[in-house]
Amino acid sequence: MHDGPGVRTTVFLKGCPLRCRWCHNPETQSAKRQLLFYEKKCLFCGGCLVCPEGVHSLGEKHTLDRSRCTACGKCADACPASALQISGVTMSVSRIVSEIKKDAAFYGERGGVTVSGGEPFAQPEGLKALLAACRAEGFNTAVDTCGAFDPRYLEKIVPLTDLFLWDIKDTDSVRLKEYTGADFAGILSNLRLADSLGARIRLRCILVKGVNDSEEHYREVARIAASLRGFDGADVLPYHAYSGAKAVFLGGEDNGRPEWVPDADEVAKMSEIINGQKQI
Amino acid sequence: MEFASVNGIKRPVRCCEETRLFAWESLGHKYGKQTWETQYVDISDVFGIGEMSPTGRYDAAIRKIAEDAPLRICENELLSGAATLGTAISHLVPAKYGEGAVFPSISHLTVDFETVLTRGLDGVRDDVLSSLEKHRGTDREEFLESCLHTLDSFDIWHKRYLDALDGMEGYEENRKNLLRVPHKPAATFHEAVQCVWICFAFLRLCGNWPGIGRLDKMLKPYYERDIENGTLTNDRAREIIAHFFIKGCEWVRGGNYGSGDAQHYQNLVISGVDEQGRDVTNPVTYLILDVIEEFGISDFPTTVRLNRSTDEKLIRRVAEVMRLGGGVLAVYNEDLIIKSLENYGYAPEEARRFANDGCWEVQIPGKTYFTYCPYDFLQLLQHNTLKDYTAVFDDFESLYRAYLDDVKALLEGLLSSVRAGFSSEDPWVWTERMPCTAVSLFEQGCVEKGLSYLEGGPVYNVISPHVGGLADTVNSLYALKKLVFEEKKIGFADFMEILRNNWEGAEALRRYVSGKYTYYGNDNDEADGICRRFLSDFADLCAGLDGRSGYKFPGGVSTFGRQLEWSPHRLACPYGRKSGEVLAANASPTPGTDTLGATAVIRSYCKNELSKLPVGAALDIRLLPSCTAGEEGLEALASLLRGFVLLGGFFMQPDVADAAILRSAQEKPEDYQNLSVRVSGWNARFVTLNREWQDMVIRQNECGCGF
Repeated sequence: MHDGPGVRTTVFLKGCPLRCRWCHNPETQSAKRQLLFYEKKCLFCGGCLVCPEGVHSLGEKHTLDRSRCTACGKCADACPASALQISGVTMSVSRIVSEIKKDAAFYGERGGVTVSGGEPFAQPEGLKALLAACRAEGFNTAVDTCGAFDPRYLEKIVPLTDLFLWDIKDTDSVRLKEYTGADFAGILSNLRLADSLGARIRLRCILVKGVNDSEEHYREVARIAASLRGFDGADVLPYHAYSGAKAVFLGGEDNGRPEWVPDADEVAKMSEIINGQKQI
Repeated sequence: MEFASVNGIKRPVRCCEETRLFAWESLGHKYGKQTWETQYVDISDVFGIGEMSPTGRYDAAIRKIAEDAPLRICENELLSGAATLGTAISHLVPAKYGEGAVFPSISHLTVDFETVLTRGLDGVRDDVLSSLEKHRGTDREEFLESCLHTLDSFDIWHKRYLDALDGMEGYEENRKNLLRVPHKPAATFHEAVQCVWICFAFLRLCGNWPGIGRLDKMLKPYYERDIENGTLTNDRAREIIAHFFIKGCEWVRGGNYGSGDAQHYQNLVISGVDEQGRDVTNPVTYLILDVIEEFGISDFPTTVRLNRSTDEKLIRRVAEVMRLGGGVLAVYNEDLIIKSLENYGYAPEEARRFANDGCWEVQIPGKTYFTYCPYDFLQLLQHNTLKDYTAVFDDFESLYRAYLDDVKALLEGLLSSVRAGFSSEDPWVWTERMPCTAVSLFEQGCVEKGLSYLEGGPVYNVISPHVGGLADTVNSLYALKKLVFEEKKIGFADFMEILRNNWEGAEALRRYVSGKYTYYGNDNDEADGICRRFLSDFADLCAGLDGRSGYKFPGGVSTFGRQLEWSPHRLACPYGRKSGEVLAANASPTPGTDTLGATAVIRSYCKNELSKLPVGAALDIRLLPSCTAGEEGLEALASLLRGFVLLGGFFMQPDVADAAILRSAQEKPEDYQNLSVRVSGWNARFVTLNREWQDMVIRQNECGCGF
């Protein structure tokens, strides 16, 4: 319900060129299938030892040698406690559309489909086919993008997209590079290109306390917004620390940073500067 | 004066300061406490009371109530009359003879206000007199005489208000209205509201708890005429409606009771089509929504009849009011309900009139005797069919058949106890029941036949068997089918032993069934298919009872919070629940098993052949305030309502509530006096629920059904 207007079904495409330190969907960064391990759910039953590659060992703790893992899913099937799960599934466009159709009764005039990720443009042909199929069904379409992608595809995607949810994570290009690996100039030029092609664009601005919580940044976003013909408002998305826990399931460390969580007042301030009025 | 909302959105101010103060005091229990001070009238010293028949004693009680009940005239009130005896709040006729109360009273019906509005009580009296003429010398005479006595008593009480208001400054219009209604047909909007109010108040004064029915439909012609004449403004009409709502809170008195202090079955139904299929939505519909929005008064739970062509403006308005929380608004999909009533045998014009019993069970208002029988179908499965987990079945079909046989035996048991209440068949003659003349006067059929509400008087007589524990039962059957019969992971007897031992030592298996299977409420055709099949078979079994007594037996699905009483007594469940853990509410998923959000829950629910259950199946949906915030949230909520209709739902009660807010209300009840929540067919001021009920509401809120 936070992915565009009305009731929407969100399709997450795996694979993203960025590596944001605050990423709240780390399981969608890699384009490959991945094994998730929820240690707290593990019953030590040994079901996972079916693994043909010997990924799992049960000593004092249940440990994984992820270098051997092919994400075949055999251990996940065998795990009775759902402590092991596979993230990512290959689906045809028609299969996805039939899933989307299930919620069609709720879309009304403005609801519909949001393609998110990862970065949808990382699978440009699939994205195009999916959007075209949704359009054929009469569904409203939205694309949630980080803005870092090969601009050649925009010309094809814009006419198929009713609304872009476009991330402006930071306007300080050095800081942006440091925290996400992204190239600000590229994102901005894609944004301008999309705008010139007639895209409707809603800006999505993560707010990370101590990183990008400067008035200078807010004003820069406001300037960008004002320069867009297709500007359709901006959402300020406060950083949440709990997203850090997800990294653990992929075998990493909890990278949640409670000190990054902004105050509600700051969120309101940023929103006011960009949108020019108070949001409810 | 801040009337609480769940999301910090300030409720709008439209009514005048006096009305707002009136609401504030009424919701602050001022009148409820007053009502509680005088409990009942005493009829012990009525001459000859010991020798009277039950009906004679009833008539004496009603008369004494009319003569002695305290009058209440509130400051600035626009409507007169009040139900001022405390025992009525306990669902009893508030008259004492010797030690106890004299008679229980009647609820679960919406009475016929339309006849009184259009013909006046004088018209009703005429009908009684002509029926008396017809039934002179028969055993129906006593009931019809009682009708006259009750009308006389109503007159006495009414006259006391007229006398009290005589010469009182500021109440001239109240008195002027009372000089006309309820005896003569109402001529103005204000008179019409006064007429409905005073009849409602009189019935409540006598202990009964009727529903209101379709208030916007009833008031529409009066509103339109007065606006056209220039004798009424929209703002004035809103004030009058507000007073109706505010006076309706005269029984709330704070404190902690099991199910809250506002459960008096006084539901309203708004919008929808009329007998001819025309939309009745009118400015009064919106005024009612305005009042709910401004005050959040929860005592008149209001259900909006939606259909595929409902105006977008109304749906948005409903969503707007709904998201302030309190669960005051629920929705019917009348497309499906009218069809189900027609399938059941009601004429189309009759089906289109539907309202409810004061809760959400659908009935034809003012014409229906109604009661429902709640059953715990999970208990039936565990105890009867699976013999407390000592039984063994060879395949799923034989298990399912055995279960249906047990359901059938249960329903046949109900029928035989019902049949004992008849002294003869063809035609069915009811045995004598306790007197209930007051409501009988407002139920079509009773006066004409000379029979009371309880003795077959109403046009339709309905007993509705209700499935409780639906999702828990379906999920149990589904888990058994998958685990034992399809995947054959364990033998039936071994599995029964595990369940007998409450999953002890079988945690891996328990996690397996709870984590790997997709249960009812997640749009999984396999699990939902069992639900659909079962409800269809249940409806057929109910139909098998028809024609074998004076009642019809349309089925329904409900728990009304009974799952709270049931859960400690139910054994472990095949889908992973341990004994004592929470159970499902109404037709909603088992808490914790629905993981895909509200739209999937609605889709699962709508796969059922709900049109075979003309009384209804209630779906509870809990939404977080954050999901309904802003324009997008409003639109999403409106879309959810529209989708519910498109997919063929029956009745849905969404509540916008946040577990964190409810927790702080537990901590600091004094700050949340007005915060109401949807419980089931009714609302409760959250702080007046006892702790167990509060915790149940919070748990249900946390367990999902959200976006």
